[in-house]
Formats: sequence, structure tokens, C-alpha cells
Amino acid sequence: MGLPGSGLAKGLAVTLKTMTRRAHTAHYPDVQPELPARSRGVIGLFEENCTVCMLCARECPDWCIYIDSHKETLPPAAPGGRERSRNVLDRFAIDFSLCMYCGICIEVCPFDALFWSPEFEYAETDIRDLTHERDTLRAWMWTVPEPPPPDPAAEEPKEVSAARKAADRAAAAQAAEAREHAPGPDAGAVPGSGAAPGAPDADGGGTSA
Amino acid sequence: MNAPGFLSPTGVEIVFLLTGLVTVGAALVAVTTRQLVHAALWLVVALGGIAVEYLLLTAEFVAWVQVLIYVGSVVVLLLFGLMLTRAPIGRSPDADSGNRPVALAVALASAATLVTLVVDAFRTAWIELDRPQGDTQTVGEALFRHWVLPFEALSLLLLAALVGAIVVSRRTTPDGPAGTPAPEAVAAPEARKAQDAQAQDAQDAQEAPGASDVPGAPEAEER
Amino acid sequence: MDFLDVAWRLAAVLLAFLTLPLLVGQAEHKVMAHMQGRVGPMYAGGFHGWAQLVADGVKFAQKEDVVPAAADRRIFRLAPAVALVPYLLVLVAIPVAPDGGVGQVVDAGIFFVLAVLGVGVLGQLMGGWASANKYSLLGGLRTAAQLMAYELPLLLSAASVAMAAGTLSLPGILDAWQWWWLPWQLVGAFVFFTAGIAELHRPPFDAPLAPEEIVFGPLTEYGGLRFALFLLAEYAGIVVVSALTAVLFLGGWHGPFADGLGWLWTLLKTAALSFLVIWTRVAWPRLRADQIQRFAWTVLVPLALLQIALTGVVKVVFA
Repeated sequence: MGLPGSGLAKGLAVTLKTMTRRAHTAHYPDVQPELPARSRGVIGLFEENCTVCMLCARECPDWCIYIDSHKETLPPAAPGGRERSRNVLDRFAIDFSLCMYCGICIEVCPFDALFWSPEFEYAETDIRDLTHERDTLRAWMWTVPEPPPPDPAAEEPKEVSAARKAADRAAAAQAAEAREHAPGPDAGAVPGSGAAPGAPDADGGGTSA
Repeated sequence: MNAPGFLSPTGVEIVFLLTGLVTVGAALVAVTTRQLVHAALWLVVALGGIAVEYLLLTAEFVAWVQVLIYVGSVVVLLLFGLMLTRAPIGRSPDADSGNRPVALAVALASAATLVTLVVDAFRTAWIELDRPQGDTQTVGEALFRHWVLPFEALSLLLLAALVGAIVVSRRTTPDGPAGTPAPEAVAAPEARKAQDAQAQDAQDAQEAPGASDVPGAPEAEER
Repeated sequence: MDFLDVAWRLAAVLLAFLTLPLLVGQAEHKVMAHMQGRVGPMYAGGFHGWAQLVADGVKFAQKEDVVPAAADRRIFRLAPAVALVPYLLVLVAIPVAPDGGVGQVVDAGIFFVLAVLGVGVLGQLMGGWASANKYSLLGGLRTAAQLMAYELPLLLSAASVAMAAGTLSLPGILDAWQWWWLPWQLVGAFVFFTAGIAELHRPPFDAPLAPEEIVFGPLTEYGGLRFALFLLAEYAGIVVVSALTAVLFLGGWHGPFADGLGWLWTLLKTAALSFLVIWTRVAWPRLRADQIQRFAWTVLVPLALLQIALTGVVKVVFA
């Protein structure tokens, strides 16, 4: 414990030192906070990706996602073929007065239609105004930042390793083929890497509403 | 010498008289009111009134000592005691002991004695108040030149009272809280008193949880 | 002394009474915030929240005037005034600058100041009792116990200065003041300042208020303007105790260019001591009620007596 009263002196010293340093206070309304890219501010909807599969609405623990849709019939792609049907989204709304920001909807979305946005300034004076419709949710998509690059030492993303494996296999097959008929024309199309995270097929795989 | 008359009062004399009336009135209310704490607060008014009288008589030093000792300490001690024991809001008829006639007789007798004494001592003496008669220097010189012996006798009396208080508080220690070392007790009798008071307070809290003004559990953790 | 002069002095004292406590309050907001790594009020008034206390006052004035049903109404209402007015009276007697820079010269200045300070605590006692609340009563009890314990060292250390100067008048003490009184009366200064803080119930001696324990003690039932008056009394108390310590122990207006800048020196010393009061609030935890009593009787009183003995010895040997 040392000298009697040293604790008191230390208290004085610490507080005085803190006073001479800059305060930690964030001057929020004057200065916007710099939020990390994965901040859970609000949920944005990339509705072009949505297939109305309803997984998000079903998985939501407090049932705060409302989805309406109807089915549309498309003419057959080729003459004589079967007519194809697809789901059209009519309403997609999230009630943020119920949402508990668990992020399960974003996790379960198989088509990457839901994203976290760091945007957080959407307080309302009426609780009913906290139910935001698809246009607002779509507008929030513009505030979704680019995902940060993985850590240098991180494990490789599954998509990338799968793509690389496929590419390697294709290259090996190609090389083997090339060895078989040495001067043959190289016309073998390389199968596309199936793991590209691009836009999914809009009319495939969706469960009807 | 032309003796000043009583029929042409100055402003100071009028204020003196009015303050005297207020003081007497407050004193009367203090002894007749049935609300204990109100009595103590009326006592503040009465004692403050006396201090004002001293001021009007240009006895500044005595006036401030009056405020310091009586208003600042004695009444606070009184209120402390009242709050510790019983200080209900509203009337407390059980606090009346029924000794009113005796008390009245004693009060009248002592008042008569004092008035006789003062009147007999000063008779028709007239003190001009155009310059301060009771400022610090005058009082100090009077106290330490002319009245040293009574002053010392008084301090002896107070010392005896102090020792008496220690003896009284020590007698209750064996069954009270663990006795503190003697030197500390000598150095700080009031601290002991405060401790004992707290202990008693806690006892009260245990014995009479229903009483309206007994502090509850928080007091217990203080010791 | 003509009428205009008196009026001018009283107006100056009133102005000081209305502004200095607010300054201390604002300083407490900001200093405390920065000592805790915050910035404190920033918006009221525009520049770094300088008008925060004005805004607080407006808010307090708008609040409902609530008196508990079981309370003793008259005393409950009277208490804030009793707590506040004494500090105003004390300010009248504190000398600020040499040669008549004082509201009113009081012959027994020290006694006047200490006597009136003691009356201020009576307001808290009244409030504590009249609230009809157990926490308030408990706070009132602690207030009374603390007052009785700390009045003695306060008086003794002030008496030491009076002995050194040979007068009870505050301007008289300052006239007699020499720089070497600073080390000579150092112990007395410590005792006086500490006991003064304790009488104000400022941390670390705020067991009578102890918001986390007994919900502000005597102030539990108060709200609105009356609570604001109690708060104002607390800050006025800081000003008064700091100014008194500066006058009695730090030489008041003494300093370079004292003839012209004496008032500034007094204000600076008062401000430095007020800062110390705020600082201790931030840095130190609260003492328990029994620790407060023990500290008064076993540390401060002996120290004060020691100081008086020292003063007497030096006075007899060197004068």
C-alpha cells in the first residue's frame, strides 16, 4: 500500500492527467461517427435479388418481416416449351420497432438480398412509422459499404477455395486432353466457376409464396 | 446632566422595543407549542432576537457569539437530540409533563430575580451608544483585565462538566459498543457521545421498528 | 458613508452572490467532465455550453412545486431560504480588495462569518425533518452530527489566525498578513479548508447527502425551485469557504500590484480553492459517517490545537 495517503495523491494525479488530455466524447450530431463496415445499423433490401422464398420471414424470431407477392406466368422461353412461373415481390417491410437486430434474416437469405447497413439515424416520433417499406429498405442499400477484405492470416473463403479447386480440376483435365491429342484445337469450354456470388437466377429455386 | 426622556424615542429604541416583543413572543410560543421541533425552531427566533438586541446595543462581539453558540450549536444539538429520539411531524401531546404550574412559578421567579438584579445594578445609569460599547477590544479588555477570576472559574466549571460527561459516558460502556482506548475518549468526548448516540439509534431501530421517525437499516452499516 | 456608497456595495455583493456560484457550478460541470474524459455540456448558449446553468434555472423554475402530503408545510417551504440567505450575508463581510474593498467592515468578522455559516446548516436540518421522509431524517441527523463535529476545528483554526493577527476583523487580519504566515499557518489552513468542505457536505464528506445511499438526504423531497435554491446554497457555500480560506490563510488581496489588482488576487485564490473542492469530488470516494466523525475528532481537532499552540509560541517568542 505504500505511504498512507498515496492512494489519495494517486487519485488526484490520475484525474488531473485525464483533464489535460483530449476527451473521448464523440461529438455525434456535429461529427458523424466512423462506424465499422459490419455495424448493425439497419437492414437494407437488395430487392433485385429477392425471390420471395420467405426464409427470412419464417426465421425471424419476432416476426417483424412482412412479405406479399404474387405469381406471374412467363411465356415459354422457346416456342412449344412449358410456361414458366415466377414470384413477383409486392411488399417487403420490416418493423424496426419489433426487430431485435439479431441478423438471422441476413444469415439465412440464400440469394444475398438482405444486408447490414451502418445507417442508424431513422428514429421516429411514432412507433408506427418504424415499419419501413421496400422503397426505404432499397434506398438503404446505397449505404451498405463494401465488405472489408479478409484478415491477411484468415482462412480462405469457402467460395474461393471451391472455385480454385474447380479451376484446378478443369486445368488438369484440359492439360490431360492436350497431351492426348497434342496439336488439337483448343475448343473445350471451361465450365464456369459455380461459386460466383453474382446475381442468382431470378426465376429459379424460389419457393412460391 | 439632562436626562433623556422616555417620551421621545429614537429609531433604534423603537426597533429595540419591537425586537424585544418579537423575542418574548417567540419564547412564549416556544414553551407553549405542542410541536417539539417547532419549539426548537421558535427558540432559534428567540435567541436570534436576543442577538439582534445585542447588536442594537452595539455589543457586536456578544451578538455574534450568541448566534454562533446558541443558534449554530446549541439548537443544532437540540434538534439532533430530538431527531434521534422522537420528532414526529404534528402535535405530540405526550411530551407534556403536566408540570406547567411549577414551571411557570420557576420561570416567573427567575425572571423576577434577573429583572430586580439588572434594575438594581444600573438604576438610572445612561450609556451613550454613539460609539460601540461592546466591540471586541472592549470586551476582551474587560474580560481579561477586570474579570479574569470569574472567567477562569467558569472555564474550570466547564472542565468539570467535560470530565463529568466523560465519566457518565464511560459508565455505560461495559455493555455498550466495545470500549475505545482511554486516551481517545479523553481527547474526544463528543465523538464518544456521537458514537453512543449512534449505537442507541441503532438499538432504537431494532426495538421499535414501527416508530415513524426511526431511521432504518442504512444506519447499521455505518459502524 | 453615504447612502449611495452603501447601495453600490450591496449591489456589488448581490451581483457576486448571483454570479460566482453559477461560475463555480459551471466550472464543476466542465472540470468534472474533463477529469472523467468527457466534455460536459456543449450546447446551451452556443459556446461550450456556457449557459447550461441558466438553462437549468429556467427548467427548475418551470417545475411543479410539490410538498409531500405528510410534510410540515411551512417549515418545508422555509428551509431553502434559511439555507441560502446566510451565505449572502457572509459575502457582505468578506474583504476583496485593500482600503475598503469590502461590503461592510464587521468588527468581529471571523465570528460573524462562522456564526452565520452555522445558521445555514439549520436550513438543511429543517428540510430534513420537515420532509416526513426517513431518508431525509437520516440525512438531517448526519448533517447535525457533522456540523457539531466540524464546527470546533473550524473555529479553532480560525482562532489561530485571529491570534496571529491580534484582531477578529477580516480586513484587519489581511492588513497584518505577511508572506511567512503561509508556512506558519499551513496546518490551520488545512484544518479550516477541510472542515469548511465538511460543513458544506461536499465530497468526500457528503455522507449526509449520499445520493446512492440515502437519496440526497435532506433534499430527497425537494424539487423545482426549492431544490435549485439548495443547490445554489451549496455552490455559494463553496465560494464562501474558498474565499474565507483565501482571506484567512492565503493572504487575500496580497500579491504583486496589490494596490490595483488586489481584487483579482482574491478572486484568483478563491477560484484555485474552488477548483480544489471540485477536484477532490472527482478524485476521492465518499467517507462513511463514522469515518467522518473519527476524522474530525481524532485528526482535525488535535491538529487545530497544535496549530494554536504553535501560533501562541511563535507569537510570544518573536513578538
